[in-house]
Amino acid sequence: MIVERTQPWLGTYVSIRVEGLDAVEANSAITAAFEHTAIVHRLMSFHEADSDVTRLNREGTLRAVTVHPSTFAVLQWAQRFASLSHGCFDISVGAELVEWGLLPSPCGSVTSPSGSWRDIELLPKGQVLFHRPLWIDLGGIAKGYAVDKAIECLLERGAEHCVVNAGGDIRVQGNRTELIRLQVESPGTAAVVELTNGSVASSCGWQRKRCIGGKLRGPHLDGADRTTSWTDRFVCVVADHCVVADALTKVVMAQGAQSANLLRQFGATAHVFDPGGGWMHLPAREDAG
Amino acid sequence: MKSTFFLLPLAAIAIQGGAAYAATYLSVEQAQALMFPGASFQPDFKTLSEAQVKAIQHASGVDVRNREVKAWRVSTGGWFLVDEVVGKHEYIPFALALDDKGRVRSVEILEYREAYGGQIREPAWRAQFQGKDSGTRLQLGRNIRNISGATLSCKHITDGVQRLLVTYEIALKQNDR
Repeated sequence: MIVERTQPWLGTYVSIRVEGLDAVEANSAITAAFEHTAIVHRLMSFHEADSDVTRLNREGTLRAVTVHPSTFAVLQWAQRFASLSHGCFDISVGAELVEWGLLPSPCGSVTSPSGSWRDIELLPKGQVLFHRPLWIDLGGIAKGYAVDKAIECLLERGAEHCVVNAGGDIRVQGNRTELIRLQVESPGTAAVVELTNGSVASSCGWQRKRCIGGKLRGPHLDGADRTTSWTDRFVCVVADHCVVADALTKVVMAQGAQSANLLRQFGATAHVFDPGGGWMHLPAREDAG
Repeated sequence: MKSTFFLLPLAAIAIQGGAAYAATYLSVEQAQALMFPGASFQPDFKTLSEAQVKAIQHASGVDVRNREVKAWRVSTGGWFLVDEVVGKHEYIPFALALDDKGRVRSVEILEYREAYGGQIREPAWRAQFQGKDSGTRLQLGRNIRNISGATLSCKHITDGVQRLLVTYEIALKQNDR
């Protein structure tokens, strides 16, 4: 029996499909998985006044702030990606996104941010301290993490095959392959990924790009130099975990072919479309190992 | 993990039901049973007056397109409402569960259409692709049920829920007393 449901979370539509359970078991598993999604939504929202992210942005320089284990886990992932990408992936880009009108000003923060991911210290017992004022935004990683948590929950409850799709960040787990269409304007053709037991995340800059101060700005920043990544590029990353796929789309968006080594470290692949330049696949076949 | 990337000519994909692939998730009765397990439901549909419509629009900042309010009183306390919002492509029907204090318990999308899905229809099509498994073929008749690309915003639903919360305050709440 196939059961599929959709709820609005994380600023988008989250769909969960379960196969191999009876209707009651499937619905109970889906409800439990959505509860995990709701927790991530509440903890990691940039907008909500009492989220962990807002508390950190408000108080992180004043004292060590204790956060939920899930928030801590996402911060650990984020710091790992920041370190491995030499700061290209950086959750402290909230200030730029606010300045460019892509995020609202955070609640209750009076200090203007000036630091980077290096100013975030993860302490024992789930505590986090900022060494400089920061506005962190987990929008580039939390959806992928939420998808992984939902999948874990469904597998624990005995789903044979399940798919979680949070606004295009998708993980497929089970005995069947899924076809995933990449929503990219590639003339005359449709790009499709056939996926078994893995995750896909995609990013494209052109939908939300805007002109600010005479410069074209989009939602994807290169954290290392705080410039907008290539706004017309489409990036799809395929990886085991959705949190990896989600985060690495931002690095591939900014670095293109230079991200091949990082992709390789995670056993990930990327499909990149540049208008005018066509498709590029990373790591390239000859160095895929 | 196993993945293969394909480029298909658009002609190889049949789009079902017009421009979009639609998935129906829950009937109204199924949504009721999921959102308020074990409860019974008393329909209490309302037609909003002109003054109520204006008050709701003013308080919620959202247009009221339909003056009919599909509301059910729940035996265990609270309300169950069905409404729809205009999405990017289609109407999106959804169900809203409110607790006995008018707070959101849960939201379920009842039917959802996402553009650019479809079905592989070209027979024995050897797909063009760049990958390791050069002999791979996509099977005929397989549905493309997942889309990855620009993230769709659920702001329409957020606005719709906000409108229904105000509708509850203005048109339903007094019935609870």
